[in-house]
Amino acid sequence: MDLVDIIAEKRFLGQEFLSWLWFKSEERGGAVFLPDLGDIQVGFEKHMLLEYGEGESHERIICRGLQAELQEARTGLLMGKKLEQARIRLARGDYEWQFTLTATLFEFRNVRLPKTLGAGEEESGPEAYEGRILERVGMIEEISRTVNELFRLFLQIRTGPEWEKELKMIRSWVRESAVH
Amino acid sequence: MALLGGSTSFVRYAVEGELPDNFFEFAAKQIAANSFRDIDDTADEYSIGWVSVQSMFDSEFAYASHAVADYIVLSLRVDERKVSPAVLKKFTLKEEERIKKERQLPRLNRQQRVDIKESTRQLLVRRAAPVPAVYDLCWNLADNTLLFFSTNGKAQELFERFFKDTFGLSIRMQVPFLAAGHLMDPEDADMLAELNQTVFI
Repeated sequence: MDLVDIIAEKRFLGQEFLSWLWFKSEERGGAVFLPDLGDIQVGFEKHMLLEYGEGESHERIICRGLQAELQEARTGLLMGKKLEQARIRLARGDYEWQFTLTATLFEFRNVRLPKTLGAGEEESGPEAYEGRILERVGMIEEISRTVNELFRLFLQIRTGPEWEKELKMIRSWVRESAVH
Repeated sequence: MALLGGSTSFVRYAVEGELPDNFFEFAAKQIAANSFRDIDDTADEYSIGWVSVQSMFDSEFAYASHAVADYIVLSLRVDERKVSPAVLKKFTLKEEERIKKERQLPRLNRQQRVDIKESTRQLLVRRAAPVPAVYDLCWNLADNTLLFFSTNGKAQELFERFFKDTFGLSIRMQVPFLAAGHLMDPEDADMLAELNQTVFI
């Protein structure tokens, strides 16, 4: 299948993942347990984009605001809209990343990396340059890998026997969070 | 919005196929052969090639290597002389009027108008300064994945083609369905193709 067909036919996979991750982040007050990494903190904030329908009836709504005020987005989910973009705060150990993840293409936008010691920032020369590159790439790959691990967890549940139970919990979360 | 500073945006690719033997030697040769050639002092309309991530003027990698540990880090630089459609239209009409007056013609035929438009475009393009665009990439050779630091679809298309021209390797953007194929056990991966959309209400 070529990429255009994959995107058209399977875009729901990323959208379901993003909605599931929002549910998961609220299930235990922001903590999500990953089998190989333990608990990480995941928060949805500030900016969300939801979509509904195809072709001419395609609609998009953008919701902005603080975490507690994402009421319009919650109501959107209840109306059957799909989460297409979300601003996510993710913390692991001493490090915190902020980024916008798009569901259809898995783009990482406006990624803010954790503050680090700033290897080689004050120095020049090949070693300092390599140090700066490796530090930045390390932090970027770390967030990429962590999102992969979250996605792997979703896929295991989504294709496994526990999906029915998980889906019931997601549906009641959608109903309850929309009316609060 | 790039590899080296501030907040950044990127998409992820998987590199398909095996890397050639003596890869760093091969990569150095291919990068040199496809490095950026400056067009500031020429009449060329377009130039595309690799430069160092540290400086868009360093196409010989004199100040920063493209090989960093198990990574290849590069910037793709694209310079293009551009003429806006409104400017082209204005100068084409102006030239048409001049020729009509000069040759005492009531109107120009279609072929004359096409020729005038093309010669005007060439004249304006020669006068325009090349507009540069630079996009960073980081290729992890250990797992053959690649980060491309732009979410612009046109830049991604250019990059995919130029990467293949340089290294002879295809790359595929890791949209969720393709990323899932790499993350699941092979025996479970077939289930992915069978999945249908679920309603969350």
